[in-house]
Amino acid sequence: MAHDTLKTREAISALADGQLRGQEFARAVEAVSRDDDDRATWHVYHLVGDVLRSGDAAGHNDLAFVERLQLRLKSEDVVVQSTDAIKSIASDAMNTRDNGQFDTQADSANASRFRWKLVAGLASLAAVAFVGWGWVGGLNTAPPVSLATAPAAPASAVVVAAEQPQIMIRDPRLDELLAAHKQFGGTSALQMPAGFLRNATFEVPNR
Amino acid sequence: MRLMKITALTGSWLRCARDVALAMMAAAGVSCAVIAQTVLLPPAPGLAAGSVDTAQPDRGINEWLLRMHEASRRRAYIGTFVVSSGSSMASAKIWHICDGQNQMERVESLSGPPRSTFRRDDQVITFLPERKHAVAERRESLGLFPNLLQSADSSIAQFYSARLAGHDRVAGFDADMVLLQPKDKLRYGYRVWSEKKTGLVVKLQTLDIDGRVLEQSAFSELQLDAPVNMNKLNQMMSNTEGYKVDRPEMIKTTAAAEGWVLKTPVAGFKPMSCFKRPAAAPEGSAVDNTMQWIFSDGLASVSLFVELFDRRQHGQEGLMALGATRTITRRIGDWWLTVVGEAPIQTLSAFAQGLERKKATPN
Repeated sequence: MAHDTLKTREAISALADGQLRGQEFARAVEAVSRDDDDRATWHVYHLVGDVLRSGDAAGHNDLAFVERLQLRLKSEDVVVQSTDAIKSIASDAMNTRDNGQFDTQADSANASRFRWKLVAGLASLAAVAFVGWGWVGGLNTAPPVSLATAPAAPASAVVVAAEQPQIMIRDPRLDELLAAHKQFGGTSALQMPAGFLRNATFEVPNR
Repeated sequence: MRLMKITALTGSWLRCARDVALAMMAAAGVSCAVIAQTVLLPPAPGLAAGSVDTAQPDRGINEWLLRMHEASRRRAYIGTFVVSSGSSMASAKIWHICDGQNQMERVESLSGPPRSTFRRDDQVITFLPERKHAVAERRESLGLFPNLLQSADSSIAQFYSARLAGHDRVAGFDADMVLLQPKDKLRYGYRVWSEKKTGLVVKLQTLDIDGRVLEQSAFSELQLDAPVNMNKLNQMMSNTEGYKVDRPEMIKTTAAAEGWVLKTPVAGFKPMSCFKRPAAAPEGSAVDNTMQWIFSDGLASVSLFVELFDRRQHGQEGLMALGATRTITRRIGDWWLTVVGEAPIQTLSAFAQGLERKKATPN
């Protein structure tokens, strides 16, 4: 069932990108016209795609958009199955490679731009970005309300010693300071050569 | 091979983004937070007590570090370098050459946004082709080594010990696995794979106090003594045509001149340098007029960033982690302190508690 949902979702995604032909096109269109959930998915894909594509013009309004998007989705009562995000991503990519259904070349040309635009505005998407800070704990207080809370992480009972980040946040300012730290603060005997290579490879995206 | 897969994963990012967006709405962000948790690997066997390989001649920590450093000075190589930190992973293709005097490196990112970094000794330029933007800078810290080790007051040996913990193969090369173990709980340990013949560092892990891996980087593929053309690298590095080149300016200062003092020193960490960025910072860098005071114990470094407190910008005091990097934010009166470093929270906390305002800034 989950697999079917994924397959359908993938087909809808391809449909939204105008990459389906013939039978596949017909099947996807049918699914979208028949099923309310599928139609909602189609709608969301278009919205997300539109904003990602027009990111250049929209500038840094990503966050505002997502808020609008979420509100709108709420008002339209979209029901989406709770899928494990990482599974979706993995199987999505696998399927993409296997059946050659998508034009992956065209995708990847823009993929990174979309990614960073997306990530820049979405704290809750930090998980899929290259830079996401794990909130270990407040000095005396609970984490900021805007954070996504992991189910098994009682935010109030933070044990500093554990140093196990339970919550991801995204803080561009922190990224800047991290970059500055890596750049000028990499004062280590291990800096040469491994440290430099490490930092150049794993650099905080300069926004 | 694994690496290829991960790179391929990023190909269909738009769809991933959509799926995540859907999942986010469905699960109110919960699933994102779950997959983002730092994955801590179990302690490696090399850490177990009594596993010291006594058959090998013992090198001291300074000898090991010098050997590793010298290796890169005399070699040319091409390789693929992979860094995995927390739940993230990045990779890059590396070209390295040294003619005995000058070192050059080219680092071409294979993940994330396209990025090329060139280094000639301490001169570094990073090209961001998508934005036709380049950042040129001098990285003073790169020139410090090996003076850091050779100076009489080198305290690395005082706070870390080195021992050969075993042998392993990395990127097809036999390597000595060297454990750099901290002597107190104020710093992390490192496990370093040093290629047997040359000493080149081919893999590096940062370990927390319990010996768990916080972050690791390694060559997944390496060609030693590869044909790397220095002239060509030089040409590529200086070809900034069509790029907007930023040269972030840093002003050298001292903490005392800025009105700050660390009333309780943190064992082993010495002040290395102190910078300030001019107020008119180039576009894209908001790190303006922020003081950065850098400390190092020889292997780990900690930066103290101090700026004026801004209610709109500065949220909550707290602790954060990213791979082996820890961060503490703290408000000190009218000031906002951010401590960033590859050290345990306790260490950063000691810095955060120890920093004190001495006087108003003279200007």
